[in-house]
Amino acid sequence: MSREVNFEKKIKRRALILGLSKTFFTFLVFGKLFYLQILQKSKYGKLSDTNRIKLKIVYPERGTIFDLYGKPIASNRIDYQLSIFRDKKNLVNDYVKKLEGHINFSEMDLELIKSNLKQQDLSDFITIKRNLSWNELEFFEFMKNKFPFLIITKEKVRNYEDDKIFSHVLGYVGFKKNVTKKKLSNLKFGIAGIEKKLDSKLLGKDGWIKFETDSKGSVKKELNKKYAVPGANIKTNLISEIQNKASIEMRGINGAIVMINCQDGGINCLYSSPSFNNNEFSNGVSLKKWNSLLADDFNPLLNRCIAGLYSPGSTYKLITALYALEYKKFNKNKKFLCSGHVSFGNRKFHCWKKEGHGYLNLHEAIEKSCDCYFYNLAKILEIDDLAKFSSLFSYGQTTGVDIPNELNGIMPDRKWKMNNRGEKWQKGETLNTVIGQGFMLSTPLQITLMTARIATGKKIIPRIVLNKKEFENLNINNENLKFIKSSMFSVVNDSAGTAFNSRLKGYYKMAGKTGTSQVRKISLQEREEGVIKNEELNYKLRDHSLFTCFAPFDNPKYSLSVIAEHMGSGSKVAAPIAKRIMELALNKYL
Amino acid sequence: MTEIFIKLKKLNWLFIFLISFLSFVGLVMIYSATYVEESKIFISHIYKVAFGFILMILVSLIDIEFWKKNAYLFYFIGLVLLLWVTFYGYLGKGARRWINFYGFNFQPSEIMKIFLIISLAKFFDEKKFQETRDYFFLILPILIVTIPFLLVLIQPDLGTAMLILFVSIVIFFVSGINWKFFASTGLLTITVTPYLWGGLKEYQKQRILTLFNPESDPLGSGYHIIQSQIAIGSGGTFGKGWTKGTQSHLDFLPEKHTDFIFSMLGEEFGFLGTLSVIGLICLITYIAYHVTSNFIHNNFNRIVGYGIITNFFFASLINMSMVIGILPIVGLPLPLVSYGGSSMLTYFIGFGMILSLDRRAN
Repeated sequence: MSREVNFEKKIKRRALILGLSKTFFTFLVFGKLFYLQILQKSKYGKLSDTNRIKLKIVYPERGTIFDLYGKPIASNRIDYQLSIFRDKKNLVNDYVKKLEGHINFSEMDLELIKSNLKQQDLSDFITIKRNLSWNELEFFEFMKNKFPFLIITKEKVRNYEDDKIFSHVLGYVGFKKNVTKKKLSNLKFGIAGIEKKLDSKLLGKDGWIKFETDSKGSVKKELNKKYAVPGANIKTNLISEIQNKASIEMRGINGAIVMINCQDGGINCLYSSPSFNNNEFSNGVSLKKWNSLLADDFNPLLNRCIAGLYSPGSTYKLITALYALEYKKFNKNKKFLCSGHVSFGNRKFHCWKKEGHGYLNLHEAIEKSCDCYFYNLAKILEIDDLAKFSSLFSYGQTTGVDIPNELNGIMPDRKWKMNNRGEKWQKGETLNTVIGQGFMLSTPLQITLMTARIATGKKIIPRIVLNKKEFENLNINNENLKFIKSSMFSVVNDSAGTAFNSRLKGYYKMAGKTGTSQVRKISLQEREEGVIKNEELNYKLRDHSLFTCFAPFDNPKYSLSVIAEHMGSGSKVAAPIAKRIMELALNKYL
Repeated sequence: MTEIFIKLKKLNWLFIFLISFLSFVGLVMIYSATYVEESKIFISHIYKVAFGFILMILVSLIDIEFWKKNAYLFYFIGLVLLLWVTFYGYLGKGARRWINFYGFNFQPSEIMKIFLIISLAKFFDEKKFQETRDYFFLILPILIVTIPFLLVLIQPDLGTAMLILFVSIVIFFVSGINWKFFASTGLLTITVTPYLWGGLKEYQKQRILTLFNPESDPLGSGYHIIQSQIAIGSGGTFGKGWTKGTQSHLDFLPEKHTDFIFSMLGEEFGFLGTLSVIGLICLITYIAYHVTSNFIHNNFNRIVGYGIITNFFFASLINMSMVIGILPIVGLPLPLVSYGGSSMLTYFIGFGMILSLDRRAN
């Protein structure tokens, strides 16, 4: 019986132990649940959000750039891109292998993937392929079930209406190099031209979209978003038709064409030849292409309008003459004899016309572009004063145009020579300078600006971006300006003028000045044996052909310069081109 | 007829209500888990619950002696089914667990748990307590346990096998076997474990190893545990709302209508939800305990009562422990809540027996 009682006790005890162990187990589970759901709620809440919520940066649409008449010259196009979930980036290599053959991954794409994978970025997606073609898109739409965690996104990317015409002035966009801690790795910045100068305005502000995605990598819905703010639109003074005409005229010619509106300083045309394709650059140019452009003898990447340096040649005679009249009380009726050369010291200075011009006055000297007359003039001039006066016309200094990388050129004076050559100024060098040769170098924009300032007597500042402005006077005697302008009129419209063949036949008249910028030094021996004809020279040694002009003569609106490298005399190549462009401008845009 | 009516009236309707309520929780969760893609599952689950409920009532009307009388027969039938499934069973998810029975898939390992319980109960009831000190007499009950345990283990169904072993140990324990037995068997287990470990499938080993450090392999075996913990933790106090769980509905949570249904409950109904379900399970367990405690002098009834309720309770808490990361994920449904017919019917039959015991106690 006692055994029975003992057993009963034992059974009760064991039932109790079983019950207690169950209670203990219950509390264990309860405790863990309390820990997960109460204590660590925010941690797991965040983790569940990271699982499902994917942030995509919405890149802002760059502002559109318009020409003067409202025609877009830089806008945006839709670009379909392929991206992968950042937390699945280990799948990239596998996917690229599988997609190859259907989607074309260029070496550049692969490089970009590599750098994007390393990039710190706010976005939960990594772009692995841009510029998907329709075929590639179609293929992916069809096969996307086999590629979880990949999505197609629609982006707005820069597109230039014309591949080459505006490349130098507009510049292009691209990724900034050597930027550490890039948070928006797909954002393209302006690299050159207006794109660079006005980057902050054009850029806009980025937004974002939060997507809800499932574990299989498909996007279920948009949760919320912040819209991107598009960049500001920019209106420029450029005139598409004229720019286009310039590009046609410069086919096969290296050089530059610049046209400035004399009334508001607006740059209507800024074309540098040869050009490059800025769409290609904005989409990402391959290293091979880049190197070939850099190695190109004709240097297509150089914007000759603002960074090409040329001797202004005879076009500079206008400043020499104006200076003599303004500061040396030079008598414009004074005649000098041109016998083909002038002796100075132990050197002979030659006129471009070997047999000489005979006796002529200042007006005729400009009209016929006689060098000897100016050599004589040089004898009474002081180089430092001339250089100072020339700065009124922006020689030797930047014009302040609103695109980057403009060069100063060289306006030589005593100080310049000492600093740069370590030698004292030789008086003979003044003789070279007054006809725009020697050390002197200028940009096509400076030459055009000179003409515009002569035409108006105002201190015009050239502008690509539309911005109406009044300009102050140059404080130059009006009579003297008038004299220079009338000489320029004769250059084009008198039968004896160097550019008579390029005169305008219509109602409006054009005034201008030719220039032939010598690239080589002609030796004494050559002078004696007869100067070698330009056509017979090696291309690189041929003279540059220059022409600068303004029109209409009575009420100047456009000032225009044409520089055609190694094309011989100004009257032969540059002036006819200028004429045709001016005709277009006067016919359609006066 | 009136006899049946009187029997019905005598049933413990509170207990029935609690069980129905737990089944209802299952219906609610399965609806949320499947309404988008597989609404058929929900309908099928309703039928199964209804069938199970009826089965429970029917079993409750059968006197407990019926089971005592036929315990070994049922055990034998169960064993035949298990052997059958080992060789001819229907393959699913890498395991041979199912028998196709006129269009219904049926897992013999589930019902075997009940047959095992009544067989052990019958064995310990018939033997005198004195003999419980004699180890040789224990060879038979150990065989009764080991044969189905091994058959289930090689299917492989680690979860059910472990549960069988665990419930059996509890039955040995409550039948009053000497401590020394447990100590020596424990020692034996430790010595054979390395051999057993070698016999496990690679994925099963992996599952156990991952338990100790789920973060080590976030995309492999640990992924499920992490995602399940995220689901439960992110539910917070009140949950994200019914059918609003992001972890479950965006498929971060695996097997959400079967093994991981508790995670989904935690996500959608929060701490209050999980606490309520634990409370419900504890209440059901308590009532069953209370009923069983009437049978101090009836070994069979007592062992059946403890066996059935231990099976239910531990299956529930082991499932929860799995999904919250206390125990390795071995594949075990949450009783009455998870989708799955064999398991649910087994629990309903078990509860039917408890109801029958309750009727007897009164």
